[in-house]
Amino acid sequence: MGFIANWLDRWSERSSRGVARRSSRRSALTRIGKLMVGSAVALPVLPFDRTGQAFAAEATKRKQAKDDTACDYWRYCAQDGYLCSCCGGTVSTCPPGTEPSKVAWVGTCRNPEDGKDYLISYNDCCGKTACGRCMCNTSQGERPGYRLGLHNDVNWCMANDSSVFHCTTALIVGLPEGSS
Amino acid sequence: MKAIAWALRGLAGLTMASALSAGAAGLDTTGAVKMAPPTPQRMYLVDPAFNHMIDGRLHIVDGDSERYLGVVSTGYSASVALSPERREIYVATTYYARLNHGERTDVVDIHDAETLSWKGEIVIPTRHAQAMAARNLLQTSADGRLLFVQNATPATSVTVVDLQSRKVLAEVQTPGCWSVYPSPTTRGRFSAMCGNGSMLTVSLDDAGKVLSRKQSAPFFDPDQDPVFTNFDRIDGRFVFVSYHGKVHELDLSGEEARAQPPWSLLSAAEVKKAWRPGGYQLLAIHEGSKRLFVGMHDKGEEGTHKNPAKEIWAFDLASHKRLERIPGHQAGVLTVSRGEAPRLYALEVEKNRIVQLDVSGPKARFLRTMKTIGETPIQLELQ
Repeated sequence: MGFIANWLDRWSERSSRGVARRSSRRSALTRIGKLMVGSAVALPVLPFDRTGQAFAAEATKRKQAKDDTACDYWRYCAQDGYLCSCCGGTVSTCPPGTEPSKVAWVGTCRNPEDGKDYLISYNDCCGKTACGRCMCNTSQGERPGYRLGLHNDVNWCMANDSSVFHCTTALIVGLPEGSS
Repeated sequence: MKAIAWALRGLAGLTMASALSAGAAGLDTTGAVKMAPPTPQRMYLVDPAFNHMIDGRLHIVDGDSERYLGVVSTGYSASVALSPERREIYVATTYYARLNHGERTDVVDIHDAETLSWKGEIVIPTRHAQAMAARNLLQTSADGRLLFVQNATPATSVTVVDLQSRKVLAEVQTPGCWSVYPSPTTRGRFSAMCGNGSMLTVSLDDAGKVLSRKQSAPFFDPDQDPVFTNFDRIDGRFVFVSYHGKVHELDLSGEEARAQPPWSLLSAAEVKKAWRPGGYQLLAIHEGSKRLFVGMHDKGEEGTHKNPAKEIWAFDLASHKRLERIPGHQAGVLTVSRGEAPRLYALEVEKNRIVQLDVSGPKARFLRTMKTIGETPIQLELQ
């Protein structure tokens, strides 16, 4: 909750490196208007993008919900970094001895199991040198730095005591309408 | 004892080296190589070294011989810029006292481009944007006197550095905007691209005081067709492309940015096939022949804007006509050499492979695929 609150307060964001585009997933985009944030906090005006809805169906086909160490795992639709689940952490928690980023960038990804769109916060884990494992770079809904909260070519450890980037998690921070 | 023996041998080497004629294997003296004068094909390859980002590098390579000339250490998540005459290299970067923790210091390191030696540093606020290296994040003023550094905390601002006095001159807030585009005519002036589709232009006096902040009318729709922040220049104009293939040319010399009417890279049939620009440093201009090169891919959709080039398209910037479709070599980074006999460099980001094309004639001609340089390079500048 701590850093989610931070994420709500501050204008978000994410981590640099973007190379290795193993499997790319262009997936579901977004209607954040229909999303509710977990914990019943209504989201303030969020950066979002509507242009990808046309591809949502196709994108869903290309995603999977079983293996969160693979780039085509559905939550990673706007991922850019080493997967923390390959680095000693999990899809939503940081490896031992690293610290979640205080700010993050967001994406909207469709879960192939229920066909619904979720708001995903890509929080980096910070304080140790790069993990170097499971690099994924996908850019669904990613936008240039003038929409910083949707930009993934910048280091989202930037606001931590140590801004050294280690890996990236993908947290569900917004549930489809009707869920809670 | 051993150390003394080594020292004596070294001394002997020094005195005897000159007595030995070339050809026979004799004793060596050491020292540092002096770089030869640069050619238009000298390459400056920015390599953030993603697998160990605290130890980024700038590789300097001769594009003709492929000889590796040397390296500049660039620290953690650096932005790199060259002085207009290529005499100095500027690196805006972060160092921690204990490598990955401890006190953070951000600096602009100054390196001599002719000797690759470190000349000094300017300590800047610990806010420089730790971003994927790109030319829109660090630029000198047109006369080379000032350096504009993009910041992100994630609040965005620009640190203005006086390279002559080696002092920070100002920090200018640029909320909702990104990039530093220096005025081609006025030293203390830069522009930044903003989230409402406009360009912000800030003018400073010699002391760094803000004289004016002018927001242009929006020239693109960031929801419908976002514009990439990477750029190249021609005749003092800045040239950008959009996700869907529009070209935007802007005059950033004055107090307020002026956009020319956009034009399209695509025919109606190509729009149908969803050809789109893609990559990082995805466009390059050869000023002499007024040609624009853009990395393009078909079957574009949401999320493909960083896809490598399936083809590189060449356009005449005067007539807006397409001149050529060139194989893309999976390039994510393009740059073209200056002056006569231009050569196009296409970097395939994923495999770290650079292809050189001779673009001096009407048709691009494949020259060579270079041996791999560095680890994860993402920006390429030329002499």
